[in-house]
Amino acid sequence: MDVINIAAGLTGNLAVIGYGLAAVGPGIGVGLVVSKTIESIARQPELAAKLQVTMWLGIAFTEALALIGLATPFIFA
Amino acid sequence: MKFDNPQTVFTKVLKLGTLLIVSIAILGSAIGFFAAGLPGLFGALAGAAIALVFVSLTALSVLVGSKLSLGAFYGIVLGGWLLKMVLFMIAISVLLQIEDLNGVAVFGTLVPSILGSLAVDAYVVTKSKIPAVS
Repeated sequence: MDVINIAAGLTGNLAVIGYGLAAVGPGIGVGLVVSKTIESIARQPELAAKLQVTMWLGIAFTEALALIGLATPFIFA
Repeated sequence: MKFDNPQTVFTKVLKLGTLLIVSIAILGSAIGFFAAGLPGLFGALAGAAIALVFVSLTALSVLVGSKLSLGAFYGIVLGGWLLKMVLFMIAISVLLQIEDLNGVAVFGTLVPSILGSLAVDAYVVTKSKIPAVS
């Protein structure tokens, strides 16, 4: 069975794939931000307060992407 | 020289962010009302309300978590983030069911509110003086 036949047999709502994609990118991004912060705090525990604030800024920027991606059904539906 | 601690930074972020989103809500609901009538007004208010709740929750989780141990901090911040995403999906699907809402107005206030609060976050963090040694 080639790719075209498989694609023709697919049914369902395409938006579900969009929800999934909107979760994948920010998931990887937040994971990277948090893992690097843990590494940095392990190296220099006295910087924890400063690093936590910087980490929050990183998470805020990454999750904005997820929130916008999940809200797109309002204009593309 | 006066230093900030994470608590003062986050309370400042929450205050400025709320102020910005409320002003976006007022402006957006006025534009929505004149462009699409009552559905536009309700849509703009719903979009701004969702943005306010979900943007503030991240700052609140870090504020609460920073008083606890490192493990509890990550538990609260990341668990809160996961819970927030699920609640956001539920909120979006509920709003999509409501007939009397203008979707463009929801999106048009939600996205500027999120981007504007990011700008506020970045501004407050760059202006804050957090000591390198706690």
